[in-house]
Amino acid sequence: MAGGSVSECKEYLFKVLVIGELGVGKTSIIKRYVHQLFSQHYRATIGVDFALKVINWDSKTLVRLQLWDIAGQERFGNMTRVYYKEAVGAFVVFDVTRGSTFEAVSKWKHDLDSKVKLANGNPIPSVLLANKCDQKKDSTNNTALMDSFCKETGFLGWFETSAKDNINVDEAARFLVENILANDKGLPYEESNGDRIKLDQEAVAAESKSGCC
Amino acid sequence: MGAATIIVKVKQIMEEAVTKKFVHEDSSHIIALCTAIEACLGHMLKRRAAGFLRSDKIAALFTKVGKVYDTAGEVCRKVQEQLQQQADLTRTQSVSHEPLRRQGSSTTSRPLQPLSAQAIKHIWVRTALFEKVLDKIVQYIVDNSSKYYEREALMHDSVFGPILAALLVGPCALEYTKLKTSDHFWTDPSANELVQRHRIHGAHRGQDSSAGRRPALGIRKRQSSGSMSEDRFAASAREYVESLHQNSRTHLLYGKNNVLVQPKKDMEVLRGYLSLHQAGDNLTLKWTPNQLINGTLGDCDLEKSIYWDYALTVPLRQIVCIHCHQRPDCGGTLVLVSQDGIQRPPLHFPPGGHLLAFLSCLETGLLPRGQLEPPLWSQKGKGKVFPKLRKRSSAARLIDQDRNGEEETAADYVFRIVYPGYRYDAITINYHHTTGSRAPSLDDDEEEEDRLHAMISMICSRNLTDPNVMKDHGEMMEMQGLGGSPSSWQQAEVTTHESLCQSCSTAAMSSFLPSVPLKMLCQNMKRQIVSRAFYGWLAYCRHLSTVRTHLSALVNHNIVPPDRPCEASGGLSKEVWSKYQKDCKNYKELELLRLVYYGGVQHDIRKEVWPFLLGHYKFGMGKKDISQIDAKISERYQQVMREWKACEVIVKQREKEMQSAIFAKLSSGSSIDSHVLRLVHRDSTLSNEVFMSVDEPDTGSQETPSGEDSTPTMTTLVPPAALPAEERPLVEFDSPDSGLPSSRNYSVTSAHSQILSSIDDGQSTEEEGGVGEEGRTPGGLGECQESLTEDRLCCQLDKLVTNGAAIELLDTVALNLHRIDKDVQRCDRNYYYFTTANLEKLRNIMCSYVWEHLEMGYVQGMCDLLAPLMVILDDECLAYSCFTQLMKRMSQNFPNGGAMDTHFANMRSLIQILDSELFELMQQNGDYTHFYFCYRWFLLDFKRELLYEDVFAVWEVIWVAPRISSRHFVLFLALALVTVYREIIIDNNMDFTDIIKFFNEMAERHDVQHILKIARELVHKVQSLMDNK
Repeated sequence: MAGGSVSECKEYLFKVLVIGELGVGKTSIIKRYVHQLFSQHYRATIGVDFALKVINWDSKTLVRLQLWDIAGQERFGNMTRVYYKEAVGAFVVFDVTRGSTFEAVSKWKHDLDSKVKLANGNPIPSVLLANKCDQKKDSTNNTALMDSFCKETGFLGWFETSAKDNINVDEAARFLVENILANDKGLPYEESNGDRIKLDQEAVAAESKSGCC
Repeated sequence: MGAATIIVKVKQIMEEAVTKKFVHEDSSHIIALCTAIEACLGHMLKRRAAGFLRSDKIAALFTKVGKVYDTAGEVCRKVQEQLQQQADLTRTQSVSHEPLRRQGSSTTSRPLQPLSAQAIKHIWVRTALFEKVLDKIVQYIVDNSSKYYEREALMHDSVFGPILAALLVGPCALEYTKLKTSDHFWTDPSANELVQRHRIHGAHRGQDSSAGRRPALGIRKRQSSGSMSEDRFAASAREYVESLHQNSRTHLLYGKNNVLVQPKKDMEVLRGYLSLHQAGDNLTLKWTPNQLINGTLGDCDLEKSIYWDYALTVPLRQIVCIHCHQRPDCGGTLVLVSQDGIQRPPLHFPPGGHLLAFLSCLETGLLPRGQLEPPLWSQKGKGKVFPKLRKRSSAARLIDQDRNGEEETAADYVFRIVYPGYRYDAITINYHHTTGSRAPSLDDDEEEEDRLHAMISMICSRNLTDPNVMKDHGEMMEMQGLGGSPSSWQQAEVTTHESLCQSCSTAAMSSFLPSVPLKMLCQNMKRQIVSRAFYGWLAYCRHLSTVRTHLSALVNHNIVPPDRPCEASGGLSKEVWSKYQKDCKNYKELELLRLVYYGGVQHDIRKEVWPFLLGHYKFGMGKKDISQIDAKISERYQQVMREWKACEVIVKQREKEMQSAIFAKLSSGSSIDSHVLRLVHRDSTLSNEVFMSVDEPDTGSQETPSGEDSTPTMTTLVPPAALPAEERPLVEFDSPDSGLPSSRNYSVTSAHSQILSSIDDGQSTEEEGGVGEEGRTPGGLGECQESLTEDRLCCQLDKLVTNGAAIELLDTVALNLHRIDKDVQRCDRNYYYFTTANLEKLRNIMCSYVWEHLEMGYVQGMCDLLAPLMVILDDECLAYSCFTQLMKRMSQNFPNGGAMDTHFANMRSLIQILDSELFELMQQNGDYTHFYFCYRWFLLDFKRELLYEDVFAVWEVIWVAPRISSRHFVLFLALALVTVYREIIIDNNMDFTDIIKFFNEMAERHDVQHILKIARELVHKVQSLMDNK
């Protein structure tokens, strides 16, 4: 039979954090990415919000991204620790029109690395987003500077994004997921929590059984 | 098994269809259903039917059927088509990441799209299902099953086959779709869906069972099903007799009259009514002497009748063994043996299969959790029969079920009652209450407490009535009352029972500790039971006191009733309010608050009432006082506005200069570049201090060391322009948005007062010059900064910038202004009220408040708290004052306050005490008993959880609650929210992510009146607990 050789479909659930100073556009980026929408009127996030993005990564891989939109002024120290728990990737966002938000990037990155790690002890893959690039006043090229900054601070890379004009949001997400998948290679997503995943796998297992139940 | 799976899968699919209006083609339910159906179809398929394609029996079957049945033939054709397409697709197309998303349910020409591996695996059944012909095909197969199947096959079964076909009619009537809506993924049920599913389930799950499963707060009178004595106290004798009949709470599974019991050795054998009751998961066996039932006694006599002592009430949870003895001539005898090896008095059934009938009912009643071991056998035509077993020993321990060794019917049986999957921890003798550490917690098994309770009463009554019993012989029997009737079995019967059922007792005992002498064993048991009872009692008392100490601070101890002096559910109406206004001296404040607490405030008068509720006005104030207060507040507000607006001008000025300075410094660089440069050139192990970059190493010597110096010195005035750009402290001013203003707040207060004085200086000079009059004119609020001339500004600026502390202050102000602006711009923009003009007012109030509380600063959420006040009061000055009042309590929730942790801790205690089942779930699922999912609730008094109209209603109640019921009413609201959805939380086994997601999605969709009602009830519950000393 034609489909006989197709291997089983893998399903992943990744918890991805979106952090950064208040008002840099975290919520906007998420809404753009998940719902293809933009609004000026998103309310300030209090605590944490969620969004789920399902990606048909390839014919054998389904990726579900659970995006944690964490309030920019979250100062309840232990609470971010709980929010960060079991995350496998992160976006750190800053606002290109406000220098101070860039300064805070290191703070957020540091906070992140000190509170969450991959199973192997490495810091979780994170990508820097220079948001609101549509409002950038000058067009100077600072790629080299940013690259070296990322290298020093431990980011996988950076993207100039605009949630408003839908620039680079999908690309940044794809880049991060690629890295998460690479980290995950060979390991089916089961040691992390999530009963749903286990159920799905059971379904797969049950299905491969032949004969009568 | 196969049938059961299919039923479940069909149910799930139908459920999904109902809740979502459609079922996604890739839904896991479909895959599961296909798997189950294929398993059934594949069962004992004839070799001939399975064909040559042995790798895929289903394909072979479908092809075979397709040759003779057109509908199936059509499906075959479509499957071939699809497979062909898939093959083409994989050949022509590289991996496509985003497959086309199209709606294509049951269309004949499906769009080209890659099918998932699972879809291909089940392509035959799946296609038939989507084409809505699966039921017909299965029916056809069933009708012609002899052609395809072996005789024992499922499909060949006269019952199962047709049922399967009938089951599939439902799923074949559904619409299946490939369409995904962005917010509706089939794998992650939304909160809405969960609630709907719960409604569907909840309908056929009685309220009783959920109430029964939920452990009651074990403080008030305990409704123990266990002991007869409690029943006697809880209900009158008449009620007891009535309880033997079926009622809404319990099901009667079995009833038989004239069952004989001999309560005492030298007593006559009594006839009585034996009944088996089921309430929730609990089975209870009762035997009631006929004398109590027949109605020959009057109510009074009935209560006192000595026959009560003979009645039996046995919770089957306590029974581990059932011994049966059959005599062909005189019916059967049944002896129940409980966990501790203690036997109940034998029950003699009249002849005629009643014993078997009883066992059969019992076996059914034990399902699904428990079962008889060995199980009864089903025999065609005869129904249930005793299992045919081979005797292994004289003790009638019957093990081997497979061989029919003995021809004659066994006369004696031992059945064990087993609960597969449930361990006997709760019943073993080791008792864990001995240490104090666990004692206060409430998560102990409620049933165990019940048992202990029964034991305590048993032991107490025994000791009081017959102290010799404990020392005397018959150690085993004396504990017979355990959990049963407390005053029943005297030592006298021991001999009877032992003679009657000696084999039973030895068998039962030997299964515990075979080698220890019986006497010692009993001594041991006695000691353990007594100590267990004692520690149980001790733990219970400790627990009570813990509960009281924990909870007593949370509620007011005097209960203000909803119906006295009058019904308060109508709330504070316009009429009542105008009556109050006419006669405010004589009206009782508490009465008004009571009305608000139980019924809220009529919307029209909220604007008038709220300032009272919030403490801006005091109840009983005359008109004169009121206007006096208004004037005072207005003056203060204007003053504050002048202050921060002046400061804002300076801040803006600085920002401008900073911009130009940066341009001067790095003519070609953007602001980002400058930061990058700075950061890159430093050590990259950055900490927050890096961002507080006031003291750059190369800053000019003019700057005093910032921060610690609480008495700042005024150094020489240096005109800003005279300094080289790099040396000016202004360059570094870039609102260091570190997110941690608290760490930067040193000496802010001193600087604060200083800048105030300097501004005051400026103003006083202005006033001397007669320029500053504008500030006092009513309309001049917004323009007061204009009264400061450029010159003066520069002068002040110069004075200030040279002072480290003042720079700190300006930084803080700038930071806060920025944050306020960010949040004001996006404050509830979807609500009609927040037009640009009103947002400006909001900003004014917020800046004024923050200016007065710079040590705390602006924290996200404050705008949310101010917004509803603005909407109702619609007056800048009044809203400012009320907000200040509100924040006296609310500011404690913000990071520096510490109230949030207290809330979490209180929630912990409350849930632990009021709903231990839920608490356990929270602990087991990654332990989210930190209750962080309530953070937003407490921070904003539920403002984000509710619609505006509902926020008003809830806030009023929160405000008046301290005087009426509790200073911590928010806790009870939170508890009410959890309670309302507790079944959903438990059924879905939610973890932290699930619950926080659930409540986020449920925001603005709660039934507020219901939640308020529950919250008030919860307060009342805790209050009565305190009352009940």
